[in-house]
Amino acid sequence: MVGLGLRRDIAEEILESRTLTPDFLEFAPENWMGMGGAWKRVMEQAVEKYPITCHGLSLSLGSPEELDWEFIRELKDFLDENQVKIFSEHLSYTKSRNAHLYDLLPIPFRSDAADHVVERIRKVQDYLERPLAIENVSYYTPVAAEMSEIEFVNQIVERADCRMLLDVNNVYVNAFNHQYDAKEFISQLPLHRVEYIHMAGHEQVEPDLIIDTHGQPIIDPVYELFDWTIGQMDPVPVLLERDYNFEDTDQIQSELVQIKGIMKKHWKVEHESA
Amino acid sequence: MSLREETIQIQELLGEYCRTGEEQELPGVTPGRIQHYRRLVWNVVSDTLATAFPITVAALGEDSWELLVDDFFAAGLPQTPQVWKLPFEFYRFHADRETGKRIRKRFLDDLLLFEWMEIEVHTMTDRPYPEFVAEGDLLHDRLAFNPEHEIVQLEYPVHTHPVSQATEMKGEYYALLYRLPGSGNVQFLALSVLNTYIFTRLQEADVPLNEIKGEFARVAGIESGRYLDDALKKFFGDLLDRKLILGFKRE
Repeated sequence: MVGLGLRRDIAEEILESRTLTPDFLEFAPENWMGMGGAWKRVMEQAVEKYPITCHGLSLSLGSPEELDWEFIRELKDFLDENQVKIFSEHLSYTKSRNAHLYDLLPIPFRSDAADHVVERIRKVQDYLERPLAIENVSYYTPVAAEMSEIEFVNQIVERADCRMLLDVNNVYVNAFNHQYDAKEFISQLPLHRVEYIHMAGHEQVEPDLIIDTHGQPIIDPVYELFDWTIGQMDPVPVLLERDYNFEDTDQIQSELVQIKGIMKKHWKVEHESA
Repeated sequence: MSLREETIQIQELLGEYCRTGEEQELPGVTPGRIQHYRRLVWNVVSDTLATAFPITVAALGEDSWELLVDDFFAAGLPQTPQVWKLPFEFYRFHADRETGKRIRKRFLDDLLLFEWMEIEVHTMTDRPYPEFVAEGDLLHDRLAFNPEHEIVQLEYPVHTHPVSQATEMKGEYYALLYRLPGSGNVQFLALSVLNTYIFTRLQEADVPLNEIKGEFARVAGIESGRYLDDALKKFFGDLLDRKLILGFKRE
């Protein structure tokens, strides 16, 4: 199954199945929780028509702050009400010194930070009564690292006993920005824990720097990395992330088709995991 | 908590840099990369607020507006995990700090509040509709109000006049913002003090208009009679046309 993020700019287009025909939809719960009126009706139609996954933005698993339990309670209600099949979050932090920052900051790759995140993932999983799929995030610089990215990610995912959202574009971006081998990185991940994949476009802003924008078409090397990666894995749902530049829906649909084509090559039978 | 004090400090310094733009001593970073975080974080906040307050941005001009965003983001400590609610915190921050008075834009609080209320009414959780029938009598039946509305009190009529004129018209103004059944679109209506009184009072009392029109006449200092009946029928008939009154309650 190949999904697409439900964004307001393309909600009508998706719900009326004009050009875009994803198999499932992904919500950022923070963008829809507690809403009534027209947007609530859009959400209800989406839930009625498609299987739903959710990709959180604000849990701030890596933050030194206490977890926001009021928010987590509301999140649980939202996930339950909308029969969400998979819930994922980022391996990053978005809150610091009692202030939300609304973007993904890199957690220092350190053993105390890993312990901290493991503890928090476990608490959240227990409370939500569902596993969390943790996403490998793109980052533009390490900060005070005492171990490698792969050691950090693996320690957390294994010890928290959580699932993983493998963002193939993020691996590509990080490998480019920090000059490592993307395939070698992926081959060291616990791929049996991956329950969901993200694919996206990015933007190269400097000769040696790519920013993970979700606003451009996926480039061929990322498709190639995806092709190679899923050859090592059991079938899971795959999502095309697109956050803006929605004018050319034909082009977005062609990306969905291309992803699906690669999936069919490796995974003969369509699974029903989303 | 498993985190070492040093790690906490490093994480907080990065957060601080993103909010304020003030450079921090961060160990083990790749030169020239950290500023992308400040840029990305700033863009999210700045775009969210500019989208929420287009009239305020136009009224202040880009430079003054950016200073307000900068102040807020550096000192405002955004609390909501839902970025679409951030504009309310922005409004509260500047209202509490009396920014409008300080920068001599006295309309600022009212304009921010009015623009936020359009978002609030559009997105607020659904309120249960009363049961109603379409046919009835405006004076003798209880009215079924559209519950999805809010009234805001303003010092300057920023909802009806350009800010340059509104600034010269300090007074007591009311705007009634409501969500249309079906489309969910938001509309607003300027209300006089007396119309605000009768609109609010009638909902609280939940009785036919006929039963409280005497009280209204006393409050308004006008004679109860045919002229008042006609005026009330005209006002509430208009609300019925606008779907602020859905219909009539029947036992």
